[in-house]
Amino acid sequence: MTASLRAWARRYGALIRAGWLVDVQYRAAIVIWLILGVAQPAITLAVWWSVAGGGEVGGFGQADFARYFFAVMLIDQATLAWDIWYIDRWIREGELNFRLARPMNPLHEAIADNLAYKGKSVVLIALVWFLIAVFWPAVRLPFDPGRLALAAIATTLAAAIRFLTSYVNGLLAFWTTRATAIAELHWGVSLFLAGRIAPLSLLPPAVASVAGVLWFPYMLAFPVEILTGTLTDADAILSGFGWQLVWLAAWTCAYLFVWTRGRRRYGAVGG
Amino acid sequence: MTGGASIVAERLSKTYRVKVREPGLAGAFRALFRPRYREVHAVEDVSFRIEPGEVVGFLGPNGAGKTTTIKILTGLLYPTGGRAEVAGFDPWRGGAPFKRRIALVLGNKQQLIWDLPPEETLLLNRAIYGLSDAEYRRNREELVDSLGIAGVLDKPVRQLSQGERMRCELAAALLHRPELLFLDEPTLGLDLGAQEAIRAFVREYNRRHGATVLLTSHYMADVTALAPRVLIINRGRLLYDGGLTELADRIAPVKRLELVLEREVDRADLERFGAVTVLEDHKATIEVPRRDVARASARLLAALPVADLSITDPPIEEVIARAFAGEATKGVDAAERAGDVGDAGGARGAGVPEGAPSPTAAAPPRKEAE
Ligand SMILES: Nc1ncnc2c1ncn2[C@@H]1O[C@H](COP(=O)(O)OP(=O)(O)OP(=O)(O)O)[C@@H](O)[C@H]1O
Ligand SMILES: [Mg+2]
Repeated sequence: MTASLRAWARRYGALIRAGWLVDVQYRAAIVIWLILGVAQPAITLAVWWSVAGGGEVGGFGQADFARYFFAVMLIDQATLAWDIWYIDRWIREGELNFRLARPMNPLHEAIADNLAYKGKSVVLIALVWFLIAVFWPAVRLPFDPGRLALAAIATTLAAAIRFLTSYVNGLLAFWTTRATAIAELHWGVSLFLAGRIAPLSLLPPAVASVAGVLWFPYMLAFPVEILTGTLTDADAILSGFGWQLVWLAAWTCAYLFVWTRGRRRYGAVGG
Repeated sequence: MTGGASIVAERLSKTYRVKVREPGLAGAFRALFRPRYREVHAVEDVSFRIEPGEVVGFLGPNGAGKTTTIKILTGLLYPTGGRAEVAGFDPWRGGAPFKRRIALVLGNKQQLIWDLPPEETLLLNRAIYGLSDAEYRRNREELVDSLGIAGVLDKPVRQLSQGERMRCELAAALLHRPELLFLDEPTLGLDLGAQEAIRAFVREYNRRHGATVLLTSHYMADVTALAPRVLIINRGRLLYDGGLTELADRIAPVKRLELVLEREVDRADLERFGAVTVLEDHKATIEVPRRDVARASARLLAALPVADLSITDPPIEEVIARAFAGEATKGVDAAERAGDVGDAGGARGAGVPEGAPSPTAAAPPRKEAE
């Protein structure tokens, strides 16, 4: 047992190292992605900032919007999932072939890549946020270790759900050449339902309640609201974690289903 | 049941279902709701056995089904029909224990991490295969040595020449010292020297570790240099399973008399001795049946002004081209070969009946436009 645990630790160590070293080769591109990644919440914040003016919109004042969208920037980077683009290419270009010939599920490579990338981007954004907060009190968070811990757990679960949606979406390339189009659609919906364009409480109540039973808010809005302190009600937090576990389980099942069926379906294109 | 064989293929078949692209907007719309499929029979009813330590060449023209067969044997593809057993495992279900015993090298899709030095892929594979430090050091040293890659291990892969890259690829793929090698066109696109280096390595690895090797290549030299036994596949069907020399005997049981003449001679004069394949100025090539070669050359020397005479075998490329042309399908019924591998039954590579309709004959290339 411990021997196999050690073997897995070594594997992840080696996978993360490789992912990290490749990222170093592409550091310029990564900085640009990072800037593009925070640009969207930053612009959205600017819009809400001017809409709110000196007053409030649905209970959100300027400072509330500032904290909310700063948290969106951070948690979005922590939960970012680009795996669809990789998996789709692996399948269509035959790069899955050698991965299938190795004694390791390619899923682990994807997970390790996520860890390698997010280790950097999250630390960087948290640092920038901290520096900005020194000069701009609006984006300061009250120091509350309990809430930070809850936010960290919620963020981890959110990242796992979002990773699985992207990975499963990528596996659809076993059947269709349009997997990336589905990803675009999913992204479009998540702009609204994940709390990316506006806090969920500002959505029409009907839309918000539909969102509440789907996986979208649990990939972003939920950890964001815990982190900023918008969500403090114990029942609401508990139910949010409940939904996270439900969707994590559902997407894990979806992964298992799509992976076993897709493998059978695989044409092993290329070559 | 398998009696210790390394690879057993029993009536393997693989049919791909390919979506038919319909032209025009209306067609695309229809395809969205009721897609039409065409079946491509990539492998049909293929059976063979390969014993431990054998090196077998897998030959066939483009689209014959070689890669598909290899992907079934390595567990990448699920066969539509038939059964495979490799190193005692069902490749599809063998999982990690099976994967540790094989290596798959694809000449056109390599596992080396493109942006990093090959060394990094070696380190990664050490962890993936769970090699101990001692194993890693031992295997790495042996591979680096016999592949001669010590000098390139720390250069980014994208800066390596194709030959260097393939040698590093072999090091990465064989780091765990597999007992079964599936090499799909490992010499693709390499120059002669680089091809020879790969061949020498494979020969050495087979000798040293008793590994079983199944190798495809479009370069005949790879096969003649490495594989005493060949499987020939065309349009998904096994045409021949046996020795290379027997193949020549069977399909082209002729010898070539290459002549240099002292003066020009009429074609008719030469044709009395055999089939004239080349005749230009003072040079001529005549093919004669193998058993007549001594008599024919004696008569020829007596009758014509011959300056030089040499007797050769037709190149194996041509022999195989003839097999595919269907000229000799009657002669290659492998089932009638002496049953030197025991109980594989009648399933072993039956010849294609002449004029049999070929399921893939009309199949266009598979790459879908994207
Ligand atoms: N993923 C796929 N989907 C549909 N058809 C396929 C697929 N892969 C291969 N084919 C078809 O199956 C047949 C056999 O292909 P395969 O790649 O096994 O041939 P091959 O002998 O390896 O050829 P080559 O020498 O060109 O590599 C071809 O007709 C090919 O078009
Ligand atoms: Mg091929």
